Amino acid sequence: MTREERFEAEALPHLRSLYGTAFRMTRNAHDAEDLVQETFLRAYRAFDGFTPGSNIRAWLYTILHRVRTDAFRRSRRSPRTVELADEGPAVPPPQDALAQGGEDLARALESLPDVFRNAVVLRDVEDFSYQEIARILDVPMGTVMSRIHRGRALLRQALGGRKP
Amino acid sequence: MSCDPERVTGYVDDALPEEDRAALQAHLRECEPCREQAGFETALRGRLRALAPLDVPPGLRRALRRQMRSTSPLRFAAAVLLPAAAALALVVFWLRAAPPFVSWELARDHASCFGRSKLPARMWSSDPSQVAAWFEKDGLAVPVVPETVGSAVLIGARYCALIDRRVAHLYYSGDDVNISLFVLPGSVRMEGGYDAEALGQTVRLRRVGGTLVGVVSSSEEAVETLERALTRTVARLDAAP
Repeated sequence: MTREERFEAEALPHLRSLYGTAFRMTRNAHDAEDLVQETFLRAYRAFDGFTPGSNIRAWLYTILHRVRTDAFRRSRRSPRTVELADEGPAVPPPQDALAQGGEDLARALESLPDVFRNAVVLRDVEDFSYQEIARILDVPMGTVMSRIHRGRALLRQALGGRKP
Repeated sequence: MSCDPERVTGYVDDALPEEDRAALQAHLRECEPCREQAGFETALRGRLRALAPLDVPPGLRRALRRQMRSTSPLRFAAAVLLPAAAALALVVFWLRAAPPFVSWELARDHASCFGRSKLPARMWSSDPSQVAAWFEKDGLAVPVVPETVGSAVLIGARYCALIDRRVAHLYYSGDDVNISLFVLPGSVRMEGGYDAEALGQTVRLRRVGGTLVGVVSSSEEAVETLERALTRTVARLDAAP
């Protein structure tokens, strides 16, 4: 198997979930595609340094977040400088659309500040462990827990305090 | 234990150390708001996990494969290095037949040979037939050359390596004048001949008989004299029965 074939076989199956996360991070298809392309490009270049059999999914997500952070740094808008407004996110409280698919939930998720949304997406949508998330986001475990907590609390607020 | 909403989150995610977990479990039995939070977060997790996955744009997978292929080292060689080498070869091929380039090469070689403290000839002779015979050993036909050009005398010869070809280099030297006569293999794009000034030297490219020659000297007069001598001998040979 060539390096190219190995990469295709191991990394490409994660495209769908990576794209989903990229979309939730950037909130638009165009930026999400760019982000995913750059992520795969970097991953492919660094593939020789990847230990076969270790967690390729977490590795890919780590690169995804690094690419995103670098892009922010380039545009001098840090994703971490987020002010938490006391009045909560600017999303109208949901009516009773919760039962009809996840549209309101998805919109509420979108309204979260980046740091909290990213943590919640990694944990609740992508089902990574705290340890994996800590490595992906390059932050301590305690920070992971606190971000997930605040993200969920904000979602609860956005959903009008009701059960999802 | 007092309420610690962050730890409730850790509890829901099963991320607490065993002893904290037990303590929190005990707290949840007594605390309604924390129990509610845990219930909400558990339900939220379920809902988020069940969010419809987003569709990958149709072109993305293809774009990734293409991107991968274009970054493979071998593909890089195929896509970049080989065309670059081919382009370079083409440029050299084109230059090789360009009279200005050839003139410059010859002027440079003339200056380099005569610029040394000792002329680097490989064979020393003032006899044109001996010089011609020396080159003929390698199958190179040298036209009939004069023994003297004005005050300059044929003194020797050698092969010189230019950038793109190996040429026969015949040396004439006299009082204050040095002349080079080159016999060039290969072709040069020119009709009749080509005259140039290169690196302070007068350069003439001519076809003598079927052979391409170059004459170089800092003295234009010497160049003309040698050129005339060459064409005369060829004309004489042509006229001979």
